[in-house]
Amino acid sequence: MSRHWFWWALSMACVIWYSTITVYVAIKGAGDIKQMLARLEESKKEAKES
Amino acid sequence: MTRFNWLLDGSIVGLYLLVTMVAGLMVRKYVGKVEHFLVAGREMDVYLGIASLAATEFGIVTCMYTAQNGYEKGFAGATPGILMALAMAGVGLTGFVIKPLRDSGVITIPELLEQRFGKRIRWASGVVIVLGGLLNMGVFLRTGGQFLVLVAGIDVRYLEIMMTALLVGVAVYTILGGMLSVLVTDFLQFVVMSAGLILVTILILMNVGWEKLVTTVETNYGVGGFNPFVNPTMGWQYVLFNLMLNTAAVLTWQTIIARVLAARDTNTGRKVYTRTSFFFVCRFLIPGIWGIAALATLGPVANTLEAMPSYLSTAVPPGLMGILIAAMLAADMSTDSSYMLTWCSVIYNDILAPFRKRPWSERKGLFWNRTIIALIGIFLLLYGLWYPLKGDLWTYLGVTGTIYLASISVLLIACCYWRKANSWGAGASIIVSAVIPVSYLVMEQLPATAALAKSIGPYYSGIATYLLSGAAMVIGSALRPQSHLEGRAA
Repeated sequence: MSRHWFWWALSMACVIWYSTITVYVAIKGAGDIKQMLARLEESKKEAKES
Repeated sequence: MTRFNWLLDGSIVGLYLLVTMVAGLMVRKYVGKVEHFLVAGREMDVYLGIASLAATEFGIVTCMYTAQNGYEKGFAGATPGILMALAMAGVGLTGFVIKPLRDSGVITIPELLEQRFGKRIRWASGVVIVLGGLLNMGVFLRTGGQFLVLVAGIDVRYLEIMMTALLVGVAVYTILGGMLSVLVTDFLQFVVMSAGLILVTILILMNVGWEKLVTTVETNYGVGGFNPFVNPTMGWQYVLFNLMLNTAAVLTWQTIIARVLAARDTNTGRKVYTRTSFFFVCRFLIPGIWGIAALATLGPVANTLEAMPSYLSTAVPPGLMGILIAAMLAADMSTDSSYMLTWCSVIYNDILAPFRKRPWSERKGLFWNRTIIALIGIFLLLYGLWYPLKGDLWTYLGVTGTIYLASISVLLIACCYWRKANSWGAGASIIVSAVIPVSYLVMEQLPATAALAKSIGPYYSGIATYLLSGAAMVIGSALRPQSHLEGRAA
């Protein structure tokens, strides 16, 4: 790994970063979907009432 | 002989497909207006945006050409990914172009261009965007089918049937749920796709080993396998072309921009860009490693595009094979759905705009959007079946993408930041950037001019397109007196 350290570091960074971000986005993204659908439901109700 | 196990791996793939289809169809009830259909009511938040952008911009086709880059160019083949990550981080941090674009509240780029350059330029840029985008997307299905056939060991005669089945499945939920279905399925697809990509990469690093990967690249490509500037198939022209291409893509590629336009506000759009930027390094380097592993294991093969799937078909064990195929299906479905919706949005919003003398009802608008997506699906099926791909895949995508990336990036930058820009310059820029890549593609296909096209090469042709498109904007705008400006500042 001392040879071509740049590509070694970049490859490892990809695996570590990607694993971390996948778990993080999986949790936070589910919350985003829930909120998005709740807001759309809300605006749908408002549109019906008006 | 593939290690795909129909019971174990088939069940994993079947479960994934079922969950995705159900999720995609469930959200269709929230679609009441065209705005919901095309930009999800502009309710997308940061993490959903990251998942959607990453899933959209990674399809089987991406995996195939980036692995082909790794196989043919070694680690240096990941250069376009690094350039794209830098461009995306820069644009996200500064808000260059995307801030005025999102602030304007438009649904598509041509809609903003109309404010500055007039209705004709809006229509022309819409045509160019759709032409470049559909030609680009035309090879997705066949390449995706090729991968699945090779990895799962399915008879090649079933490739067309697989392509059709894949497209119909995606089209159904995209037609019914539009951007809302795309976002929700993108999220699921991001998780499945990422799990597959990470697990297979770890398996390869453990089985083949880092030292063997490095030695393979050294033996086959020498220093050029690590440094694009000294690689005989790359050089400064490859780096410069990819820098221009990726910067233009970050600024104007409609599927990427659609995430900014669907974002809740400008800051959300910028955060999506900044936080997704490093994914574009992974997007090239991870499949690139798979391609290098194929080279290390299989040695030289006749069809470099098929090297990686051929290698994976024997290297990945049952169980993980199901996750890999589900991951690749996820990658492909998210890309296909987003691309179909995106080109539909431009056709409906910009190309059909002159035919809407009076505003259409929401019901009629939704009907036409759904019809357009169905028609795009039929086009993709037909084009994917008969177009013979020559040269490497990434170059084909780069050349077809340049048809619109060059002019639209010039138009968009000029629209946002150059007061003297006008419709003459915009028109000249569109013509120049469409003529050069289309001529190159035609020359490449004709036996009489194929040798000339080869001697020019795609990189010089691409660089010329970007430079001449910019020059056309400056010269065209200078030729028209300022008093004749018909648009207003964006």
